[in-house]
Parts: sequence; structure tokens; C-alpha cells
Amino acid sequence: MASLLDHSARGETVGYSFSQAAAAPVKQHGFYPYTDNGGSTLGITGSDFAILAGDTRSTSGYNINSRMVPKVFKIGGDAETGEGAHIILSVVGFAADGNALKERLDSIVKMYRYQHGKRMSVSACAQRLSTILYQKRFFPYYVTAILAGLDEEGKGALYSYDPVGSYEREQCRAAGAAASLIMPFLDNQVNFKNQYIPGSGEGHALEAKKPEPLPQDHVKQLVRDAFTSAVERHIEVGDNLQMLIATKDGIQEVFHPLKKD
Amino acid sequence: MLAREVLLGITGKDFVIIAASKATMRGPTIIKAEDDKTRQLNQHTLMAFSGEAGDTVQFAEYIQANVSLYTMRNDSELSPSAVSSFVRGELARSLRSRSPYTVNLLLGGVDPVTQEPSLYWIDYLASLAPVPYAAHGYAQYYCLSLLDKHHNPNISLDEGMKLLEMCTDELKRRLPIDYKGVLVKVISKDGVKVMDFDNDRVVRSA
Amino acid sequence: MDKLVSQYSRSAHQNEFYSEQEQQELSESLPPLSLKFSMPPVDNSASFLRAMTDDHSNPSCPIKLAHGTTTLAFRFQGGIIVCTDSRATAGNWIASQTVKKVIPVSRLSRGEDKPSKDPTPGLLGTMAGGAADCQYWLRYLSQQCTLHEIRHKRRITVAAASKILANLTYAYKGYGLSMGTMLAGVTPQEGPALYYIDSDGTRLPGNLFCVGSGQTFAYGVLDANYKYELTEQEALDLGRRAILAAMHRDAYSGGFINLYHVKEEGWVHHGFDDMNPIFWKTKLDRGEFSNVTSEL
Repeated sequence: MASLLDHSARGETVGYSFSQAAAAPVKQHGFYPYTDNGGSTLGITGSDFAILAGDTRSTSGYNINSRMVPKVFKIGGDAETGEGAHIILSVVGFAADGNALKERLDSIVKMYRYQHGKRMSVSACAQRLSTILYQKRFFPYYVTAILAGLDEEGKGALYSYDPVGSYEREQCRAAGAAASLIMPFLDNQVNFKNQYIPGSGEGHALEAKKPEPLPQDHVKQLVRDAFTSAVERHIEVGDNLQMLIATKDGIQEVFHPLKKD
Repeated sequence: MLAREVLLGITGKDFVIIAASKATMRGPTIIKAEDDKTRQLNQHTLMAFSGEAGDTVQFAEYIQANVSLYTMRNDSELSPSAVSSFVRGELARSLRSRSPYTVNLLLGGVDPVTQEPSLYWIDYLASLAPVPYAAHGYAQYYCLSLLDKHHNPNISLDEGMKLLEMCTDELKRRLPIDYKGVLVKVISKDGVKVMDFDNDRVVRSA
Repeated sequence: MDKLVSQYSRSAHQNEFYSEQEQQELSESLPPLSLKFSMPPVDNSASFLRAMTDDHSNPSCPIKLAHGTTTLAFRFQGGIIVCTDSRATAGNWIASQTVKKVIPVSRLSRGEDKPSKDPTPGLLGTMAGGAADCQYWLRYLSQQCTLHEIRHKRRITVAAASKILANLTYAYKGYGLSMGTMLAGVTPQEGPALYYIDSDGTRLPGNLFCVGSGQTFAYGVLDANYKYELTEQEALDLGRRAILAAMHRDAYSGGFINLYHVKEEGWVHHGFDDMNPIFWKTKLDRGEFSNVTSEL
């Protein structure tokens, strides 16, 4: 990509170089190596599982390029089947950058296993992903990543990232085009934000409802609700819902149809 | 639009304090260091102004004249809230004209009937808000949080002046502009009075 | 002419695959907190980065980075208070309300923020500006501090640690880093020490700093009541109150109040508390915030 663009830019200067001073600086006319492929992702953790989900639509502008481009990947498993993986990664934004990022993290997690003879912990992988993103601080990956798996205690772990690698462990996170639609729903339904215990008091004395880990079936239903709702109100979200569920038994993949319009 | 001028207003139990910086600045120069950026609109309302050179005084004196015209015609004083509505209306009308007045205002007054003090914050886009304390320009950023903490509606004039001093102390400490001190006026039921204010005290930074 | 020839004389597919060195880097298992960054293939990388990520000068920029903050730290007779909000914004979007903007800078093995009543040895760094910049470079600093401890068998001074960071930010000046950080620590050599370091390369020792979009509001409260002789409880309350003031007036600040106290034995965490109940308690019990009405 880079070398291609480099050529065309230089080609222009070469043409002019005979008529103009050779020292004329190469002017970069709108170098724009990114595009937004739309879509949305979301992750929620429970006491013994973590779910990452994403729609499978790929868009550019108002065009739908494909209805089956998964955004959630198994990391550190078999190249073909993804078997043996214990970490899941979702990437949304620019699909090519997302793919490059996934490949890079995947090979690093694999090399870790070959060199150390043990699986990489999710917390270590999370820190490593942060540094990978930051290596491109001055030419960022145009992606929002979410990493999930089980932590050392077997609890669900989820880490969310910004494009240049700042990260934080959270209970839930929505990213991508419909993040602003899904995240408030998650705040309310997972972290019980703005929910109070009925009859616990009046006005300021009202007691807030404490968040607690949710059962897996409940979380799955929340994920499906979040996406069916997002599909109704966002043009870049739709087609299929892909869900990867990490438990102690491995990673399970589920697809659900979403509206195709 | 952030002015380098300082306008501050504080209400209390039965008074309103209005403070305005004394420097008139043009580009890099202070062309006057003893300016009065206030106009008295009637017995018990005072308006402080900042903004575009020329606009400020023109607008203030236009308002001043029209408020006194009203008083002469109807033989009755406008209450501060009535004046504020009039000022806002004039500013809104001017905003939709070919050359709008670019002025930010603080309007303080004590109602002659109820004796309630009131303060109005008005900006050049003709937003009007009745507030217990107010600031315009960069002073907002330093003084509002301070007033949030230390103000309450029942303070006496002495306490009000102490509060104002806290504000100007903070501006002396942190604002990288010499605004040449403030001119302080107090509106009470007895009218408008200029207050003695020590602008030369040295404030030490932490 | 030479340029022209060299341009076309290399093999057509030369850059198609990862080079051997790139492959090596790809599979390296140690996380390289290295100083090797990939650069965009343009003449002015800073202006490219600005066009892509700076939503202040270009509100429709494609990559929104997390920004916006109020952080403060001040020295007093009992040590150093460090206090922050917890909001991260990307444009108008609140990206997170639970950011940990106080980052322990100490031996990596014990830098984790485990809940503990006992003081944890080490320095504290604060995060304002680019979240990733602060996280990454404070971690890099932790690494350097750990190495210092191993090499010299004693903890690094705050002066030295802050100098490492300042030299670093100065080396990257103009590249587009964005960070305003404070380093706080108590060492036997210095006593309580506080430094401000930013991405321009500024490094300043001082008694009191507020950094971030809400800094002025925090200064307003802090300056009025600050004195070195504050008691521990007074200092903690003042720090908390100053952040609350900034959260109230600055839209880019909010969420939770994160409070730390740095003492000789190390730092102690004094809570990560939701601002909302604290605000109403402050208003209703102490009669402050008279611009807000409790009934509509």
C-alpha cells in the first residue's frame, strides 16, 4: 500500500522535475490511506465467560461490499480452524488495518507459546496488544479493538482499546459505528446505571442498584437485543450477528441472522 | 469570543457587587488604565460591559438613554428584571441586523419594590440567565469554581467583598494578563456606590 | 536522473513481503517498549497525524483519540495529594467514565493497583492529554525505574525519573505526542517531590499543579485554600473538592473522583468515588453550588 502510493506521488514530481527546480519539495496531496468499513462490535463478561460479538456487514460509504465479513477472531489457535485458541479479539473500523492487527497479534501469541511452552495469559496479551497499537502511534491503525478471554482466576476478562493503544479492563464495551447506540443500553442493562432499588428511599436517598455478574443466557439475549436494535437505527449495521463465547471449555462460535436491508 | 477584560458579579443578601477591570487594551497596548466599564441605567441597576471596542460604550449608553426615556415618559422606574428583558431584546434585535453589537454584559440590580437583589448574565448572542454570581471572559474559568464553593445567597456585603477579593487574588495569581485592577461598584436599595478596593496588594503563589 | 533510475531499477516486488528483520520483529516475544515507531510514508508526518487525529483543528478527523481531563497534585506537610477525574472523551462522545488516570510508576511486578490499606512503594504519575501516550510512556518510565533499581540497588529519585520522561518528550517534540503529566513521590534524598512534565518538553518542580481542560476550575478552589501546613484530612478534602469543582464546570471532566496520598512509605489509595452523591452531599449539607437548584 505504502510503496504503491509512494510511486504515484513521486511519479508526479518526476514529470515536473525537468521544468522545475529539483529541490522543490514533494507535495503530498491528500494522502489518505484509510477507509471506514462500518459495522459494530460489543463485548460483555460474566463470572466464568466472556462474549465478543459483531455484525458481519462490510460497507464503504453507502455501498454494502459484503454481508459476511467477520469482525471477531480467535487468537493463538490453529490457522485454519482457530482450534485451541483461548483469546478473542474484535476489530472494527478499517478492515484492512483490523486484519493486519489480528494477524500480528495472532503470530505473537503463537510465538509466545512456542518459545515459552505455555499459553499467554489474557492480561499479558492485553498489554502486548497495547504496545502493538502504540508502535503505530504516528501512523495509527484505524481500528477500535476489544480483547477478551478468561483471566488467571477463570473470570471473564475484557479489555477495550483506542486506536493508539490506551486500554482499560471493563465489564462491557460497545465499539464501532453503533457504539453510541449500544453503549447506553449496556450501561443500563449490565452496569445497572440509573437503576435504583424501588422503595429504598425518596429523592437523593434512593439506593442505586449494585451491578453483579450476569448469567450467560441472559448476556447472550442482551447482545442479540443490542444488535437487533442497532440494525433498526444504523445503516452500517446488519446482515448477521457473529458471537464468540470464551469459557473454560474453549471458544464457541454462534451466528444469528440480522435484517438484510 | 474570549475577552481579556474581567467582569465579575456577586449577589448577596441585599446587594449586588459588580467588578470590572480597569484596563482598556488595543492590540498589545494598554491605552488606558483607569477605565470605567460600567453604566448606571437607573437608581438601582448597573450594567457592566466588555467586548468589541466602540460597540460596548455605544450599546451601553443607548440602553442607558432608553431606560431613562422610559422612566421620564411613564414616571416609573423599571425593575432590574424588566431592564434585563429590554437589554436582551435590544441585543437580540441587533444580532439580526447588518452590524450587530458584540458586547458581553453583566446587569446587577436591586428591585425597588421587593428589595431583592438580582444579577443577569448576558452574552453577545443575547443569551440571558439570572444567576447568583457570574463572570465574563477568562475570569470565568478561574472564578466560577471558586464561587461555587464559597458563595451562598445570604452573605453580607463584607463577606461579598471578601469573596471578590478571593477572585481577584486568584486572577492575579494565575491570569497572565495585567488587567490593571478592578473598579468595584455595589448596588443596594440606596443606589449605586463605588467601593474602595485594594488592587495593589501582592498575592503570593503556592 | 540518478533518482529516476533508482526509482525504477529495484525489483518490482521488493516490498511486497515482510523483510527478514520485520519478520523477526513480528515474532519477537518480549514486548518491546522500544522506540521504534512506524511512520507514514509522507514528508511531514506530524501534519499527517494532525489531519487524522486532531479533532480540535479538524472536527471531522477519522481517528478520535481519548482526551480531556482534570488532574491535580500538591505538596503539603504530610506528603503529596494526587487527585483526578475519570472521564475520557473522543470529540463529544464520552468514551469512558472509569479511566484510571493515576498510574503507579514503580517496579513493574508490584505496580498493579491491588486494593490495599498498606502504602505501596513507588511513584505516581498522572494522565492528561492522550490516554495512550500517558499509559505507554509512564509504563516505559516504570521499566526505566525498575532497571535503575536493579542497577543501583536503590529507588530512583523523582528528579531523575522526571528527567527521563522530559528528555523523552523533548526528543519526540513536534511528532504530535500529547501529554501533560505530574510525577509525585517521596524519596529519602528529596523528601516529598512533585514535577510537571508535558509533551512540549517542559519539566518543572513545584508545590501545586493542575493539568487538563478543567485545570483553571481546580486552581480556583485549590489556590484559595491551599497552604503547606494543611492536615492530612484537610488536604484530602481539598483535593477532592477541587476536582469536584472542575467536574461541575468543565464538560470534558466527570465520572469518578480518584484520590491518592503519597507518603514516605509509599502511596495510599483513598477511593474511586462516584461524583454524583458527593456533589449533592456538598450542596445540601454545606450550602455550596448555590447556582444549582435541588428542586425544579
